[in-house]
Amino acid sequence: MSERSTSNPAGAAPARMPHHAWSIAAFALLVSLPLLVSDPFVLNMVMMSLLSAAAALAWNLSGGYAGQLSLGHAAFYGIGAYTSTLLFLKAGISPLLGMLVGAAISAAAAIVLGMITLRLKGAFFVMSTLAFGAVIHISAINFRELTGGSSGLAIPLQPSVLNLTFANKAVYVYLALGLMAAYYAATLLIAGSKLGYSLVAFRENQDAARALGIRTLPIRIGIFALSAAMTSLCGTLHAQYFLYIDPDSVMSLSLSLNFALMAIVGGLGTAYGPIIGAAVVTCVSLAMQIYLGNQISGLTQLAYSAIVISVLLAMPGGLGPGLRDALSRRFGWRP
Amino acid sequence: MEIYVQLALSGLFVGGIYALISVGLTLVFGVLRVVNFAHGEYLTLAMFLTFFMYHLLGLDPFVASLVVVPILFVLGLVTERLLVRRTLEAPHVVQVFVTFALSLFLQNLFLVLFTSDFRAVRAEYATAAFEIGPFYISWLRMVAFAASIALTVALAVFLKYSYMGAAIRATAQDRRSARLVGINVDRIYALTFAIGCALVGAAGVLLAPLYPVNPYTGADLILVAFVAVVLGGMGSIAGATLAGLLIGVIESFSSYFLGGEMKQFVYFIVFIAILAFRPVGFFGRKGAEVMDVT
Repeated sequence: MSERSTSNPAGAAPARMPHHAWSIAAFALLVSLPLLVSDPFVLNMVMMSLLSAAAALAWNLSGGYAGQLSLGHAAFYGIGAYTSTLLFLKAGISPLLGMLVGAAISAAAAIVLGMITLRLKGAFFVMSTLAFGAVIHISAINFRELTGGSSGLAIPLQPSVLNLTFANKAVYVYLALGLMAAYYAATLLIAGSKLGYSLVAFRENQDAARALGIRTLPIRIGIFALSAAMTSLCGTLHAQYFLYIDPDSVMSLSLSLNFALMAIVGGLGTAYGPIIGAAVVTCVSLAMQIYLGNQISGLTQLAYSAIVISVLLAMPGGLGPGLRDALSRRFGWRP
Repeated sequence: MEIYVQLALSGLFVGGIYALISVGLTLVFGVLRVVNFAHGEYLTLAMFLTFFMYHLLGLDPFVASLVVVPILFVLGLVTERLLVRRTLEAPHVVQVFVTFALSLFLQNLFLVLFTSDFRAVRAEYATAAFEIGPFYISWLRMVAFAASIALTVALAVFLKYSYMGAAIRATAQDRRSARLVGINVDRIYALTFAIGCALVGAAGVLLAPLYPVNPYTGADLILVAFVAVVLGGMGSIAGATLAGLLIGVIESFSSYFLGGEMKQFVYFIVFIAILAFRPVGFFGRKGAEVMDVT
């Protein structure tokens, strides 16, 4: 499983362009993109790619490095979106503060859920997170007095920094870019730390990890809570970008599935994988929606699921590591 | 008092079909150690097939079952060969997400082919009923219940007394030892998966005259089956049957007293509670579900 880890094996001299140079080049390109492009469709595509990448990076910390395959992360995304929006609409509290409150609630929920379910094995854990996501989704639909039910909540357009609302959509692109860059840096930091190695050790072999004296449950609950809080911040940004939320758009199972699939398609347990996955999945989905979606409903999702199955079977490590291996085999070039 | 008996009876009848759906799911998990998240879509497919045979060919659902169940069996063989077998040795994440993506794939395939309209088999005997004392019993529901229980018993007898059944049980207990004593484990996997699909196909035929079908019907009903399978103990056929019946009764009472809207909410809370407090369920094998953690 060494291909899944991001760091070089100890002692191997990096005789190639270091990771940081690539990251900085890509980052610079993304920074200049909103200035160069004014087409609203392309801008929306970039925004959605970046926001999805941030959410996929958050999912990947728990799902990829610790192997905790959650299908309930949309609940945390929704908690983030609803907490900041409700605090703003009902109490006039700035979303800047509201997003932190949302993150705290999400982390607390993840700690409680994690204490109950993180001792469950594989498929049992997946099902328990699925049930948790469904409980939060159904609650948001049914507690109409608070959440507005299925009709959702609209945020009034009052542009100001304090309201985290901007008339120029390019500002959101920079916010999402900042969030993604921060999550990427956090992933690199954690992956290179003792915590990251402990999580990977546990994922690969629980008994061996325990024999080495790694107390796994507290750190696994911790990373689950961190991942939940990070997902929650993405939810707030989603609400502020669209200025409208409803349970189906911020809490549905398909959203949870998307976070997971982006990380998996790009490369599970790597720092760059979720970014590649999010970019590929978002751009392909939006492009398919334009060319196929209007004719027959379901065609986009049909193609999407077929692509996912093919990637899983042909490149179980994901597109990122898969392409990297293919390039190095063919040209001896490892980017 | 009478209302309670009536609720229990109608719950039990629906529970029989839940049991049949759950038995297929739990059998596949017990032998292949794979949770088939696409199980519900095979139910949807069987219901669609039954519908089209009824409306295009005029075949009665009970006659159609002679065609639908074998079709599902063959599709099970094909799915196992093309997808599931390739995930058995793969990392856990591949196992979970391949069947999940398959579920998404089939759902959208049905959506493209049949649209999201609800379609119902309207057999003239659908509303026929008889009364025993104060209780009102639908013929169709009673027959569906009886057929479900008969199929479950037939499966149990097959597993217990036939040579093939013994081979399936041996594979479920220890696949390496099974291979050592000369069992063709790959064939057992294929057969088991196909039996699971055939059982859910039979459940689909029985459900078709009772529920209208659209591409999401199976996904909704399968939630109940997941609760039943975990409650009964993953891999336990007796457990899944018992839990299926029990959940039918719980559903019948909760939709009478709480209203249908909160039905799913109740399921999921029950589900998390079982996983939290007794993840082995009624008859599950210890060690399959919880890890030793510090």
